[in-house]
Amino acid sequence: MPTTAASSGVKLDKAILKPLTRRSDRPGLIWLGTWAALLTGTGYLLWLSLGSWWVVPATFLFGSCLALPAYALSHECAHGTAFRTRWLNETVFWISSLIYGEEPLHRRYTHAVHHSNTWHPGKDPQMPFATPMSFKGWVWEISGLGIVTYSARVLITSAFGRPGPDERAAVPESEMGRLIRNARIFLGVYLGLALLAVLGQWWVVTFLLLPRLAGGPAMQIFTITQHVELAENSQDLRLSTRSIERGPIGGFLYMNMHHHIEHHLYPLVPFHQLPALSQALTPQLPAPDPGVWRCNWAILGTVVRRALGRNAQTASIRQAVTPAE
Amino acid sequence: MPNWHRVCPASSIDEEDVVPFDHEGHSYAVYNTPKGYFATDGFCTHEEEDLTEGLVVGTTIECPLHQGRFDIPSGKALSPPVCVNLKTYPVKLDGGDVYIEI
Repeated sequence: MPTTAASSGVKLDKAILKPLTRRSDRPGLIWLGTWAALLTGTGYLLWLSLGSWWVVPATFLFGSCLALPAYALSHECAHGTAFRTRWLNETVFWISSLIYGEEPLHRRYTHAVHHSNTWHPGKDPQMPFATPMSFKGWVWEISGLGIVTYSARVLITSAFGRPGPDERAAVPESEMGRLIRNARIFLGVYLGLALLAVLGQWWVVTFLLLPRLAGGPAMQIFTITQHVELAENSQDLRLSTRSIERGPIGGFLYMNMHHHIEHHLYPLVPFHQLPALSQALTPQLPAPDPGVWRCNWAILGTVVRRALGRNAQTASIRQAVTPAE
Repeated sequence: MPNWHRVCPASSIDEEDVVPFDHEGHSYAVYNTPKGYFATDGFCTHEEEDLTEGLVVGTTIECPLHQGRFDIPSGKALSPPVCVNLKTYPVKLDGGDVYIEI
């Protein structure tokens, strides 16, 4: 039985849910325009900083504004909820996935399995680290290196026609040809960009490669909050998934995915309706954990205490009690 | 031998909406789309999720669990993670009611 609202014992009247699921191009286009303006602004700051030490914070700033929204947009498009117009959704899906670094078909199939088997070890392909999380696992995850190396491995093995066991488990055999073709296109684009950099086109490194890597931590501090330290093998998404308080900018950059329990319960609901969905579900949901900074501080405290052999339980965020502790 | 079975008054299905219909232990989904009324099997071919909880956009139905899409008139699977077509059934309007041929 897949992990759904029904398996979680959550109910919402269809008369309330239906208007929330309605698709529209407008919110997505406004979001896209705002993101483009943000990239232009922070990209200009990066350009101004070139040749000085200011280039370091400017790269992190631009990179954060590049990586986190690219992840969020790719995710929203994978669900097909970013836009009503399908070709628009799919075009933006490819571009945002190129920036994020995951081939679209792989993203869609493995994410579908993630929704069906949320936080079930051995079944959920989007459990990127061993649980309970170790300090080493935290460093690997929060640096963004974990997802970059994972994505690179999936892309290269798929492009060479040898998808790994996770890909074979998630993607039907009939779709393998498309997966391999897409992976080759992605790899071709990345190699083309690398060639441009080698030929002296420095903007590829300055405005794409380095910012994308520097933006990894900004992306990870949001995504790490989604399920870490919560119940494994639970059919109740309220026990395996975490919603957090919305911060001043995180709501936009993360496309409202801080309402993560709500998203898992009703993935048909587009990002712009998640606050309304959250309001409708409030009596059935646990209170959200603190905002992204406080939540990450609590996660760090937990993994550090665990590494030191001390009690890793925390009162700051929701946490499943693990038998080992 | 297929027979026609009354589903409900046509007016009780909003445009771009779907209702369930059960007959002899089998579940069907009956749609009102901008191109007319149609019927398909009631469960997604991917993970057997109830399509009548899904979203009708034009003449497509989206599964509520993974947003796999089917073309309603033909039952054709349109986008991952669905890749097996949906069975369709003839529908007619008679006296203001919707009928399905099963």
